[in-house]
Amino acid sequence: MKKNRPLLIIEDSDEDFEVTCWALNKIGFTHPIVRATHCEEVLLLLLSGTTPADWNNLLPCLVLLDLNLPRMNGLQFLRDLRVIKSPPAIPIVVVSTSNNPSDVSTSYSLGAAGYLCKPLSLDSYVEKLRYLTHYWFDAVTLPE
Amino acid sequence: MSEANINPTQSEAPPHITAKNVDLNNCDREQIHLVNAIQPHGVLLVLNESTLSIIQVSANTESFLGLSPAAMIGQTIDCLLDNENVAALRSQLATKNLADGFSHLLTVSCVHTNERFHLFGNRIDELLLLEFERPNDTEQFSDNNHFLRLNATIQQLRGSTSLLQFIGIVVDQIRDWTGFERVMVYRFDTDGCGEVVAESKSPDLETYLDLHYPASDIPAPARRLFMLSPLRHLPDVDYLPVPLIPENPPLLNGRSVDLSYSFLRSVSVMYSGYLRNMGAKATLVLPLMKDGELWGLISCLHHSTPKYMPYESRIPVEFLAKIVSQMMNDKEKMDHYSYRYQLDQSLHQLAAALERFETFEQALVLGKTNLLTTLDAQGAVLIINGKLNLLGKTPTEQQVGLLVVWLAQQDELVFSTRRLPHDFPLAQTFKVIASGVLSMRFSRANSDGIIWFRPEEQQEVSWAGNPNKPVEFIEEGQEIRLTPRTSFALWKEYSQGQSRLWLTCELEYAKQLRQVISYIIVNRISLLTQINAELERSNAELEAFAYVVSHDLKEPLRGIHNFAELIKIENDVPSPEKRLQRIETILSLANRMDNLLESLLKYSRIGLSELDLQSTYIGNLVSQSIDVLKKANPEMGVTFNIQPTLPIMNCDRMRVEIIFHNLILNAIKYNDKVKKTVEIGCNTSVNPAEFYVRDNGIGIPADYHEHIFQLFRRLHGSDEFGGGNGTGLTTAQKAIKRHGGRIWMESSENVGSTFYFTLAPDLISNKEVMQ
Repeated sequence: MKKNRPLLIIEDSDEDFEVTCWALNKIGFTHPIVRATHCEEVLLLLLSGTTPADWNNLLPCLVLLDLNLPRMNGLQFLRDLRVIKSPPAIPIVVVSTSNNPSDVSTSYSLGAAGYLCKPLSLDSYVEKLRYLTHYWFDAVTLPE
Repeated sequence: MSEANINPTQSEAPPHITAKNVDLNNCDREQIHLVNAIQPHGVLLVLNESTLSIIQVSANTESFLGLSPAAMIGQTIDCLLDNENVAALRSQLATKNLADGFSHLLTVSCVHTNERFHLFGNRIDELLLLEFERPNDTEQFSDNNHFLRLNATIQQLRGSTSLLQFIGIVVDQIRDWTGFERVMVYRFDTDGCGEVVAESKSPDLETYLDLHYPASDIPAPARRLFMLSPLRHLPDVDYLPVPLIPENPPLLNGRSVDLSYSFLRSVSVMYSGYLRNMGAKATLVLPLMKDGELWGLISCLHHSTPKYMPYESRIPVEFLAKIVSQMMNDKEKMDHYSYRYQLDQSLHQLAAALERFETFEQALVLGKTNLLTTLDAQGAVLIINGKLNLLGKTPTEQQVGLLVVWLAQQDELVFSTRRLPHDFPLAQTFKVIASGVLSMRFSRANSDGIIWFRPEEQQEVSWAGNPNKPVEFIEEGQEIRLTPRTSFALWKEYSQGQSRLWLTCELEYAKQLRQVISYIIVNRISLLTQINAELERSNAELEAFAYVVSHDLKEPLRGIHNFAELIKIENDVPSPEKRLQRIETILSLANRMDNLLESLLKYSRIGLSELDLQSTYIGNLVSQSIDVLKKANPEMGVTFNIQPTLPIMNCDRMRVEIIFHNLILNAIKYNDKVKKTVEIGCNTSVNPAEFYVRDNGIGIPADYHEHIFQLFRRLHGSDEFGGGNGTGLTTAQKAIKRHGGRIWMESSENVGSTFYFTLAPDLISNKEVMQ
């Protein structure tokens, strides 16, 4: 896999984005990280098939998706993605504060590749992200 | 194939029971109408109607008509009547309805004796029956007198105020008319038992009033015959029956002619025996009908001598009995009028109590008016959720429990019996308290319901001491069962474990009470269903609310936690700017959390307290809201267009101010135009009035119109447009819903939004009601 394929984080909160970046950095994550604050923009990009320069003109290798977003929320984003004729082959992992069982099951039924519940403690968050990157970048094979 | 083969059961059929083989044990099966004999005070002819040829005659023809039976059989009617009379008879036969009984056809002279006779006819089993009776030539009857007398009697009957008084007049009048020494009215119960309810008699006779007698005294076939003939007359109890000759005419194929309607028909030997035992020499019996059923009998007895009532004297009596039957219904209703009125009153009081009290026990058992207040019963049980509530004189709880199980097996929801121990043998042990039962179940689903108990009746009758000393005509050394006294004994034996009859109005009362209770149960169930549905909805809402709240509060809390940890971790990397930045973030997150909590509190308060409805001038409220907003943000540069004629509404002032505050705040906040305008108005031409807040702001994409009222739902980042936490519209909506109103919106992106709302429930249109 190309080392410069970015990890896309869809997250509206600056604080949360900062913490996630800090944690990924701490575990030695090397892929470039890009951010979107609204699902709509991501959906448009994926639909148009063009990728912006700051994405290195490449599709992201993995998407971390927050659920609680202004306007289109994460679940709606998953729902809309499914309607696309040839959806991009990118796993989407939900990363949310919500532990609402209905959010978890809805996410999976809408095709989420995982559901990570953000813990209160930073240490646990770092651990969870370490497992996540191990799994996605060391254990499984992602599409080119 | 012979006829015997065609009907193989014939040989096995029980033999007919007639005067020849009747006794007390089988007299209810005695076929009185196939007696093949008549009384001697007239003549009976059986004819083929088409040819008017004589098939069978009573043996006494010679003394009446001057011709022996042998001389008549096989002849036509011409052997008795002249041509003129035969022609008149034929024309009568062609026009009169002879199927339902004997009709008077003609008064004829017999060609042999020149004697005059009344001629009556009846068509039965394709045979013509003719009866000849001598007219009354001794007394002069004037039709006019009859009418006047009848009229006076009917007037008197009309004036009676109770059934008993009514029947009292009937027996007095009939005794007066007929000259019979004793005239009684028997009343039948549903089971055929009876009672003498009225009597008029000459003073020297002993009274039969209030005598009870068993059903076997007037067995079912006799009751049927009484119903069929408007009048039965036995002029001489000691008559010699006159047989019909020949006994088996070839034309009848072994059948006996059906004398059901015959006036002359010979009576049952049991009947004449009974009358003899009572010392009666002659009788006249008329049926009393009510609603097509045999209600009772008017029974006239003559004790000193035989007594013959000729046709002329019978007509007005028969007519009177028919009128009495017609009037019975109204009089019986009148009889229980005050009882029915009281039952009605109790029903209303119980219904009111059922509405007022929470439990059926409170309403039906513990109240001032209870299940026994008016209804003539000694005890009652209310069964609710299988639990028994006993009231008054009832069997034990265990006994009632058994009864409840049995009652639940009955088909009818309202059930009554006056002979419980006979229907339900286990009741034998408590028959003194509960021989009669009136019960109703609220539904078929369980045994919940009400039971009333009536004690055994004969104890009551014995206490009343009514039977006194009924006459006895028992000859020494002979055992004769059929006397009034032995009848009463028999009745007593029969009425073991029997209570007084349940009246129609009592059954009606139970039915109505059941309806009232069912109605209340149904209402309670639907109310409960409604409450449950609401509870479920509010539970679901609460659950969703809890998740939303915990999620949205956790987010800043987690941020605070994370940044504090970061500061801790980065302790050894001295960078004062970075650290200050981290602390600023924590402070801002703490502020956001405080803000969220504050909004949440406001939101929940909207639903907490009662609505405080006051007449409110909305214009003032709007100005106040704008003033508050202007003070908080002096330089917002918004043009407000407020409709000058905003109405006065009956509403909760505090809550409506919250509505306007949130809507106007949104209208200002989400507006990127240089010239911001907010328009506030009301359309009062519709009902309920529709308020609106219109802006020229950024608008809301159509996709999100349905999401914007969700709690904590933001369409923008938390820092865009001055920051919002997604509670404004939710709060406004809650305040509107609290008034029963609704909120909706129209918007287009970059042009502006208009929020509409009402402060009262929508009126349901007639069309919707129809649907």
